[in-house]
Amino acid sequence: MLTIEDLAKYPFLRKASSFVESYGLTFQDLASDEYDYVVQRAVERVRRGIEGRWAELNVVDPETEILAYPLALAFVYGLRSGWVVRRFANSEQKRCFELLKSEEKEKIAEVGKDGFDWDLEGTELMVSGALFDFSLPVENYLEVAPSFHSPDWKLVNRHVIGGRVYLKQVEVARLLSEALKLKILRKVEEEDIKKFQIPEKLLSKLEGLEKLMKETKKYDEDVMAEFVEEAKPPCIVALLKDLAAGKSLSHMARFAVTTFLINIGESVENVLKYFTSVADFDEGKARYQVEHIAGLIGSKTKYLPPKCDVLRSFGLCVGEDAYCKRVRHPLQYYKMKAREIKRKRDGRRSE
Amino acid sequence: MGEGVNKEVVKAFKEYYQTLDVNELVVKDLQEREIALIPLGQETMIRHMTFPDTVALKEYLENHIPAHLYYSSAYYREPQASDMNKKGWKGADLIFDVDADHIPTPCKADHDTWTCLECMMKGTGFPPESCPKCGMKRIETTTWVCDRCLEVAKEEVFKLIDEYLIPDFGVSLKEVEVCFSGHRGYHLHVQTDDVKRLTSDGRREIADYVRGVGLDPKHQGFRMMKDGSITGPDLRDGGWRGRFAKSVYAYLSRCTMEELRSVVGSDEVANIIMRNKDRLLRGIMANPPSWMGLRGVELGRTIRIAKAAVKDLLCNIDERVTIDVKRLIRYPNSLHGKSGLKAARISYSDLETFDPLKDAVVFKSGSIKVYVKEAPRVRIGDYEVGPVKNVQLEVPGGLGIYLLCKGAAELRE
Repeated sequence: MLTIEDLAKYPFLRKASSFVESYGLTFQDLASDEYDYVVQRAVERVRRGIEGRWAELNVVDPETEILAYPLALAFVYGLRSGWVVRRFANSEQKRCFELLKSEEKEKIAEVGKDGFDWDLEGTELMVSGALFDFSLPVENYLEVAPSFHSPDWKLVNRHVIGGRVYLKQVEVARLLSEALKLKILRKVEEEDIKKFQIPEKLLSKLEGLEKLMKETKKYDEDVMAEFVEEAKPPCIVALLKDLAAGKSLSHMARFAVTTFLINIGESVENVLKYFTSVADFDEGKARYQVEHIAGLIGSKTKYLPPKCDVLRSFGLCVGEDAYCKRVRHPLQYYKMKAREIKRKRDGRRSE
Repeated sequence: MGEGVNKEVVKAFKEYYQTLDVNELVVKDLQEREIALIPLGQETMIRHMTFPDTVALKEYLENHIPAHLYYSSAYYREPQASDMNKKGWKGADLIFDVDADHIPTPCKADHDTWTCLECMMKGTGFPPESCPKCGMKRIETTTWVCDRCLEVAKEEVFKLIDEYLIPDFGVSLKEVEVCFSGHRGYHLHVQTDDVKRLTSDGRREIADYVRGVGLDPKHQGFRMMKDGSITGPDLRDGGWRGRFAKSVYAYLSRCTMEELRSVVGSDEVANIIMRNKDRLLRGIMANPPSWMGLRGVELGRTIRIAKAAVKDLLCNIDERVTIDVKRLIRYPNSLHGKSGLKAARISYSDLETFDPLKDAVVFKSGSIKVYVKEAPRVRIGDYEVGPVKNVQLEVPGGLGIYLLCKGAAELRE
């Protein structure tokens, strides 16, 4: 049985939505003083998301918590910023993971069922040295697991029997919280979310949030504006080394290098320089291709580099370093490492 | 097809579709699938068609004889929409494509040739990735199949079903449809609601699972204990663990000293293992298993043995087909324009005895006079011919159509 406290812990559950619906609240109602505490709580939840902290785990007032969640979501979508949605989704994921990690087994199965239609079954299966707490249908597992990069999440490295994947509790917590994150992210694509606008009356409550959003986001963008040489992923470094040595690269390798450099802000001229030592270099042809990839000519689409999976399939992955383990895309690698390097540098400077 | 089309092929294909029992065209939820075809003698595909039932489809086919007939693995809300984004994807079957072309069999040297389109270098057998002479990758192949190729492809199908789909994925036999591809391999269609909504990334994981891509024995029970000894999985575990235990057992039972030496990369270690073989095998068999026999062999070497042991159990499938959620796939029981053979639907119980070069031959009557330009040894039904070059022959109907469709023969008066 899911209690009201459980619904406050996991306010994304269907049962929590029904609870909210039973109040029959309109935005009009929420804008009134009577529900100011709910609005405040919702704003706080979004604020924590933007700041990259997760909402408190302690639930003092379950009712407020449950009512505030859909409103917080409404704010997040209403702010019309993919960046805010991602920050919020990440903080909700972390919060959910922390809670589920130490949850009772039965509750976890209920959260899976009510939140995501997952058929989690508690078990105590011991196979050659490993003890599994749950089993989950393969198709449920694959809704989420492919978004994890680490090889131990690959289906081939899992214990799979009779259409079910066997998992430890902490892994189930990770999967469920990721499912929540994806649910928040994917909702952006829905038509009524795209059309949604925050009602006038509530807008005034969001002024602080909008300011915070601009400041935090600007910091992020500043980090990306400058090219950080040391932040390039190992696969790209290896390809650039081959180019410098005058080696002829495969089509896919050239495509990966070019799209990567263009996307981190290199100019066409600079990109061409990398290719000049290659034996069969033909400037006219190369320029045409690079400009095409940059979206300057032709279909005007700016191409993105292939994701890690694809690079791996083409044999262009040269093995992982610590950053690779945390990402699934070379650009993601660059952003993460560049941010950390810049933070360290800035920190040093301000000291 | 192009120039290969002639009156005999048209006549034969037409007769096939006219006399076809509509029940043979039954597929799951036909009205939700896109139908596409390439008409005989043409090269452009007609796409985005839908049919309310098999009667309507058959009527259409009789009037537009297809060289190749396809249906979408996907189910759509509006299969007739020409914009892929407007079709309204509802889900798709999970498809596995086993193609003898992708499996390097020794017999390929007898019947396949390749030509580099840059320097015109020619060779026989499995085509190289790039030309050994000029290094370019524009390579044209002329491929044939023989009993051996098709037998290997069939073994892959059994492996996929018996080793993976049933025990690991819990799929039941009645949920898998096996079809001969009509040419060089087999298609497996899994049509349950469970797989229908799988994303492309999810399907990639399933393809990788059966191909063993990214497989790490360290996640399947092989570990180093605190005291430095090695432990491994149990034969009774199921999944990849059980598969590892069983294959290591089988591998160590049969491998030669030479093989083992090259796998572990050390004479000394190979010697130790060979000397302890009986004890090791008994240990793996025991309940619970003991891998103590591998004492002194590092984890890295154990893992190399494990990987070598499961090599033959990895499925040789074309993963691009499995990953694609909007694939057009050959329509079951239609004819393949490049062979004239039927993409026959086969029940699992008949698969063992299914002889594609006989059972998928639909033109059984009469004989045809054909001028054979070049062909390796070919068997269709009980009749064999070749290798032959530039010769006029009178052959049974099925073989004649096959040679004409392959473009290896033509009609000459």
